[in-house]
Amino acid sequence: MHYFMIILPILLTSLFTLATIPILVWMERRVAALIQDRLGPNRCNIKGVRLGGIIQPLADMLKLLFKEEFYPAHIKHKFYYILAPAIVFASSFLSFMVIPYADDITLNGFTYHIQALPIELGVLWVFAIAGLGVYGIIIAGWASHNKYSILGALRASSQVISYEIAMGLAIVSMLISYNSISLNDMVQFQGHLIFGFIPAWGIIIQPLAGLIFIVTAFAETNRAPFDAAEGESEIVAGYHTEYSAMKFALFFMGEYIAMSAASALIVTIFFGGYQIPWLNTQTLQNHMNLIVLLLMVAIPLLALGFISWMNFNNSCSPEHQRETRFATIFMTVFIIILECFLFYLLTSGMSREGNAVFIMIMQIASFAIKIMLMNFIFVWVRWTFPRFRYDQTQHLGWRILLPLALFNIFITAIVVVVGGF
Amino acid sequence: MGIKTVPRHGSSFKEKTYLWAVFSGMKTTLKKFTTNLSDTNCIPTCEYPEAQPEDISDRYRGMHRLTHRDDDSVRCVACFMCATACPADCIFIEAEERMDGVDEKQPKSFDIDLLECIFCGYCVEACPCDAIRMDTGIFSIVARQREDFILNKEQLLNNRGAFGQENALA
Repeated sequence: MHYFMIILPILLTSLFTLATIPILVWMERRVAALIQDRLGPNRCNIKGVRLGGIIQPLADMLKLLFKEEFYPAHIKHKFYYILAPAIVFASSFLSFMVIPYADDITLNGFTYHIQALPIELGVLWVFAIAGLGVYGIIIAGWASHNKYSILGALRASSQVISYEIAMGLAIVSMLISYNSISLNDMVQFQGHLIFGFIPAWGIIIQPLAGLIFIVTAFAETNRAPFDAAEGESEIVAGYHTEYSAMKFALFFMGEYIAMSAASALIVTIFFGGYQIPWLNTQTLQNHMNLIVLLLMVAIPLLALGFISWMNFNNSCSPEHQRETRFATIFMTVFIIILECFLFYLLTSGMSREGNAVFIMIMQIASFAIKIMLMNFIFVWVRWTFPRFRYDQTQHLGWRILLPLALFNIFITAIVVVVGGF
Repeated sequence: MGIKTVPRHGSSFKEKTYLWAVFSGMKTTLKKFTTNLSDTNCIPTCEYPEAQPEDISDRYRGMHRLTHRDDDSVRCVACFMCATACPADCIFIEAEERMDGVDEKQPKSFDIDLLECIFCGYCVEACPCDAIRMDTGIFSIVARQREDFILNKEQLLNNRGAFGQENALA
């Protein structure tokens, strides 16, 4: 148990990064399709089970894995050429390490931090590592020995550098508000209520900083509408023009992990992290039986809604009907087992430790739901807005977001000093 | 001639912040997303191999066919008009004398290379006898080998019209 609790956050980190990639790719393609009045990929299946098309990213990954490792003949520095995607992948992966997934938990006298890297540096670690990611892009552009690649790399690096300033300044005002740089402290702060009924989330205390941070986070991940670095219409594919097979896949996965990491950071700083709105750890502990009862009612209702949606939308052919039946049976059995477990918890009465573990699971689930919603917003924004022109990107970064962030720091500092919070 | 003054947009504070436009754009896409998600029948996409398109009009240019006379013999007189009109040079005709007295000439072989064909329909327009048509309604042309894409006279004669006009008008 002791070792499991230490390894758990590391497992969760790999789950939130690696295991979410296929889900994110699937979400990106299906959401894009639905926004554009299409269906999206829904054919790929294993023995007729399609899971709404989620098999497709797995098939794509397999294809990229088994493709030929091709090296263009004009590449002189093969070492840097291979190093670049690895840097991009690793840095986006590492920046996830300090995100807290649940409140500190005490079991048998030991206090465990549900953070893969339980350090107090928090935000600073994220900035240090996220800034490294752009080295991968620069090296990729340089080692590719291709003018489109180098243009893409230049665009990406100058964009990341200019937005990092506004991002850092937006964070500074949050640090003043929270009075800490540890992400776990920030999340614990957000468990309180303002005036007794509004959750004290970062976005409510500091809406301007929240807006600036979200915009700069979009720019930092090089995603639309700030993806001039890979503007197909001008510079082919930017810095990864010369990459193929698994080296391209690393860039691709790195982009999605970076998006996930940005979502995790936004959620942690501005949307209450693992906190369930209005229910912080203390409240959860005090009203355990009520919470379990609520869950017992809510989960079957949600499942029922999903099953009826599935029956309505997934029954146009016999194969689809068979799949729907299969999924319905599977879900029903799962829900019954879950209900039995919850009922057992309700009747047997939990020990202190069991209580704590249950709260931890609920908080991890809450964090997962929040991060997925934030990822959905990333996808939603990408398929809504056209790409910014390169000079517009720089104009927005330097002339608008930077002064706003500075202004926000002054206001925050004045309020904190004069108001004496 | 009066002068029409066109109002310039984008100078008010509300428009300069961009945020209103941003949120209204996101509202539009979210509405699309939720309507399509709650009822996938709203989506005009048809699930192709299972559901075939139903809106192919009479004028659709599909795979070619050679029409028949009333006695079911070939209507083509091997005049080479279609092969001459063809911009892709995909029609290959070999003529022979017709011995049954119905007409003077008929094609000995009539090949169309569908991989070369651009489906422009010039051959149909050029034909003086209404002997070649593209009204089979066949839009999906698949084969395993390149050679299988070359249609010969028998295959062209076996194709039937999809829109009710079986025999030629001329």
